[in-house]
This record gives sequence, C-alpha cells and structure tokens, in this order.
Amino acid sequence: MTENAPASMYRTDEGMGLWEHRGKVAAVGVGHSPTARRWDGRAETCVGAISLIALRRAIEDAGVDPAEIDGLVMDPVTTTGAYWPKGKPVPEEVTSAFNCTDNPLDGIAGLSAEWILKNMPELTGIDFTMYGPGCMSNAICVAAQAVGDGLANTCLVLKSWHNYEGRYYQGGANAGSDLPGTAALHALWGTPACYGTALQFAEYCRKYGKNHDMMAPFIENSRQNGLKFPEGYWASHRPEEITPEDYKAARWIAKPANLFDNDLPIMVSAAYLYTTAERARDMRQKPVYILNHAASNTRPRSLTPTLDEVEADTARTARKIYEGAGITAADLSFENMYDGFAQFHQFHIEGLGYRGMKFGEALDFYQTDISIHGPNPILPSGGNIGCGRSRFWMHTDCIQQIQQRAGERQVTGVKPEVAVSGGPMPLGGRFTVWSATPD
Amino acid sequence: MILISFDIDGTLTVGDPPGILPMDMVRAVKEQGCLVGSCSDRPISAQRAIWASHDIEVDFTVSKHMLPDVKAEFEADVYYHIGDREDLDRRPALEAGFEFLWPHEAADMPWVEGPDA
Repeated sequence: MTENAPASMYRTDEGMGLWEHRGKVAAVGVGHSPTARRWDGRAETCVGAISLIALRRAIEDAGVDPAEIDGLVMDPVTTTGAYWPKGKPVPEEVTSAFNCTDNPLDGIAGLSAEWILKNMPELTGIDFTMYGPGCMSNAICVAAQAVGDGLANTCLVLKSWHNYEGRYYQGGANAGSDLPGTAALHALWGTPACYGTALQFAEYCRKYGKNHDMMAPFIENSRQNGLKFPEGYWASHRPEEITPEDYKAARWIAKPANLFDNDLPIMVSAAYLYTTAERARDMRQKPVYILNHAASNTRPRSLTPTLDEVEADTARTARKIYEGAGITAADLSFENMYDGFAQFHQFHIEGLGYRGMKFGEALDFYQTDISIHGPNPILPSGGNIGCGRSRFWMHTDCIQQIQQRAGERQVTGVKPEVAVSGGPMPLGGRFTVWSATPD
Repeated sequence: MILISFDIDGTLTVGDPPGILPMDMVRAVKEQGCLVGSCSDRPISAQRAIWASHDIEVDFTVSKHMLPDVKAEFEADVYYHIGDREDLDRRPALEAGFEFLWPHEAADMPWVEGPDA
C-alpha cells in the first residue's frame, strides 16, 4: 500500500541550512504523453494509458533499463475539478484492456501506484513507492528527498491529469446540496475557483496603483512560449496566440480575473527520471542537478489568503529556497514559477526578488522585455496559460533548458545554469532549484 | 436585414468540440445578404483567423459577453445568436435582445437555403 510522503520529507522551515543532498540528486529523463481537451472514452487514451506512455518515454529518454528502476513517486489524484458522474457505469472495454486494482475507476478517474506497477511489467525492480499529492511540484520534492536519502536510486516521478466532458468544478460533491466545513463556502455557495486570487490581485492593484491591462504582456508572452512547447495542448491542437487586444476583450470570470487569466483543463501526463548524481553521469541525457527543494505549509487565517499573507509567505519561501540551495536571487538564470491562475505569478516572482524585483514591481517588469531572447526571461515554459492545465510544464522546461534541448523555446538571452520552479499557490507550494552543475 | 451571431466551439464544425453547423452554411447565409459574425470565447484574433482560413468575410468578431455591443453597432430587423450553451449562449443572448437558436434549430431555418426556400 503506497502512502503519502511524511511531513519529514519536506523542507518546510527556515534555518535548515544547505540541503544535505544538494547537488547529489539529478533529473535526467523526461517523458510526456499526447494531450487532449477531454477523454474520448477509449482505453488507449484514459489517464492510466497516457501515464504509461509518459513513463516509458521518460525511461527511454534517460536510456535506462526499466529493470534498474527501483522507485516510483506520483500523485494518485488526477484532477481538481473533473469528477466521474455518480452512478455512471465504468466502461468495461476500458477496464478489460488493463490489469485492474480493487478500485474500478483506477486508471480512469484516478491512478494508484499499484495500477501502474500492474500495467508496467517491465518495472521488475521497484521496491519503493510513495505519493506526493497535489501536483508534480510536490512529487518531485518527494522524489529528490527519497533519492538523496537512499530510499531509491533510480526513481520515476509521475503526474497525470484527466478531464471529462462538462464544466470543471461543477460536478462531484460540488453538485450536491451540502458539503462539510468551509468547503461549502467555496464550492457550494461560493465563487469561481479564481475568485481568491482575483481578490488578492484587486488589492494588489489598489495598493500599488496597477491595473489589469498591465497583465497583457505576461499573458501574450506565456502563450508565445507555450506555442513553442510541442508537447503542450495549444501548440498541438490550437496554435492560437493571445494578443493584448484579445486579452483585454475577454469576459470576466471573477473581476478583475478574466477568461485568459484562467487555464484550460486537459488530459495529459508527464514523467521524469530522477537518480543519484553519480548514476546520472552514465545516462543518455545531461544531468540536471537538484540544489534544493522547499515547501510552504502556511495556512491562511481565513477562507482566502490576504495580500499581506501572500507577500509574507512568498518572501519566506524565497528565503528557504535560497538558503537550502546556497544561492541568491542573482544566481537565477530564469524563473518558472506557477501561473494557473496567471494573477499569482507576480506574487511568486516578487517574493523571489527575481532580477531585484520588489513587491508591487512585477507588472512594471512585464512591460519590459520578458521574452526568452532577453536578459530577463519570465516563465519560458509558458506555464499553464501557454500549454494547458498540468502544473508541470515549468519543471519540464527547467530540465530541458538546462540540458540545452528546449528547441525553439531555448532561452538565448541568458546562459541556462540555475533555475527555480514550483507552485501551485503562493501559500502551500512546493519548489525546486535546478542547476547545470552540482555545486 | 437579419444579423446572425455564431458561437464557434460546440456550434460550428470547426469548433472544439466540433458542432454540427458547417462553414458552408455560414457562407450561404452571408451570401443571402445577412450580417454575419462570431461571438465566442476564442481570442478575437483566433476568430478572425478561422474566418480568414475559410475565406469568409464576416461583419464582426467579438468576445462572448459582447452581444450588446454588436446590437448597438449594427442596424438589423432581427438579431439571432446560435450557440450550444444555456449559460454562455442562450441566457446572455436573450438578455441582449437577440433571438436564440440551438445549432439544430438553426440548421432548419429558411435563411440557410436562401429567401426563396
């Protein structure tokens, strides 16, 4: 039975000093599945099937014998808002195509480590499995710590997403008449998912004298970068830019957050192969060394964090990131912090002090050259806005940029040596520092 | 004069998901002299690109909430919006003073075949 990672695996506190495994763990292989807007009901496109594709591609990319892999870290939850309708029969043609677990929706509406291992017979050496719940940002922290601690030597990390027809966040318990606790205020009687971030952004604009239109260059840049990410949804299916005119004309979802401040739910899976720095030297791809991972466990005082709470926590997170990695903001070649919702990206990078930025300065920074060809790249992955909702494009991009194989997306205005990525939300995120060298 | 606003996704065959109304239908309606355009959540630049790629010259391309702007800008005897969603098409269309048609209803309208049909 696979368990969630214990709290002791996360670096949550300030004052912990350098990460004890700094530079001794590396990411090597990357594998992505094809994307789709929604599941089409076929066995070969269910969330389990696309996960197998991503895992096998990561193994192939790293040039590793599958039998050599001894660890698997993943997230068993494959959605935040697309729920299997209550009472809807599980399609037999799908379950019969795979080796199933006791949960009939395993591989369709969720994903256990047990399901993966039952359907990847080539993984004969796995003796460590663990869940890093929520998103890839969490799972890669767990994998890095596990490899560093010697719990696994060669470890796959997996995050997958399913999406069904119908509206996101409208089904499941949200469609019922009651929910326990504060979830009722958010999900039952409440607001669109982006409402909390929109509130923080409204206060941000008031406090610093900014406005929503100033986000337009960030959105345009994100989509441009995303269209250079061949694995992404928009590049694969709908190569549409978002011009400043498009952005400013979009309808409000929760004013001042509009349609293009939100991401598009999709079907997708990604996997990475982590190993020790020593083992990574002999693999097919250049090792990308992990200098640190850090976590925020801060809980807001009320239903939604205030701007003050957000700013205090992103600053605290940055101190943890830099302290454990032994770097400063000046060492960052680029940043790939989370963006789904777009309006909290600036909270992340202001907290980091990216390029000397202070609170209230990010939107002015967005009016300058933030492209992959300039000296100050912002979110070269394109993130969720540029590629679709996955919460992992930014990690893939950090690995590929540092390996110098980001293709058209490769940063040219800076030498890709040290990068930071992570998320999701400013409060409660998990973060990784990546490096071309182990020290 | 008839003005017809088309939703794209779930309505036109080029949508994502595809709808049932082919671009030839839009072309035919346009050739009947109707004012034609799109009202969609697609970026406006993407809407223009879709029409251009099908060589259809439309009168307007607007975001989903802008039907009132269309009505204010164009003089017509009757205004139609065709879409596939209750919350994002039918309700706002009626609020903006448009007649509303589901895609299957639009396919049966006489102006699809021309004024003599």
